[in-house]
Amino acid sequence: MAERRLSNTIRTLRFMAGEMTQAELGERIGVTRQTIAAIEAGKYSPTLEAAFRIAEVFGKPLEEVFQWGISSTLDK
Amino acid sequence: MVAREQFAWVWLLTMLVTYPVYFAAVALAGETAFGTQILMFAVTAIVQVVVIGVASAVIGLRHKNNLSGDERDRAIAHRASALAYNILMAGIVLVGCAMPFGHVEWELFHAAVFVIALAEIVRHALIVAMYRGGLRQPQPERGWHG
Repeated sequence: MAERRLSNTIRTLRFMAGEMTQAELGERIGVTRQTIAAIEAGKYSPTLEAAFRIAEVFGKPLEEVFQWGISSTLDK
Repeated sequence: MVAREQFAWVWLLTMLVTYPVYFAAVALAGETAFGTQILMFAVTAIVQVVVIGVASAVIGLRHKNNLSGDERDRAIAHRASALAYNILMAGIVLVGCAMPFGHVEWELFHAAVFVIALAEIVRHALIVAMYRGGLRQPQPERGWHG
């Protein structure tokens, strides 16, 4: 069975939001900079609530921030 | 490094230093009075409390605005505790159910201390490993999030 995993576009979205820092994003959703770094790197899957908050900060729908797919197609 | 990870490092290193010394002392002492055995444990516990207390105070001052942790901190703590609990339960069942038949009381005492120390070392080692990202990304079926 193919391995599926959560990926995200937070790094890109931060860049498009005027190079928003991880610390700034973390402060806005109530987590630490290290947690944002872990989410970006795929080392931690956020709670649904945190995921919605991140999407809200960037003004994007959830599926534009987080994707659920085959890892080989996502690890480009 | 977040405050919770620093706490975990302090706990882990303190336990890795104090408890081997303690158990070595116990082994070398052999069959001594129960009071002596308790005294060795008391000294170990006091050293541990002092070191961890001082280190925690320093960490607390450095991270005074962010001591409560966030969802990732709680998820890591929860997962590490759940895994270490298995070691604790297995050890306590062994000590409480099997060892009373054929072992003297101070052996039971030190065996119980060993199990508790081992479970704590494993718990803090897991916390550190998970913060360092040494664990493989959890699979969706296992569901690892806050």
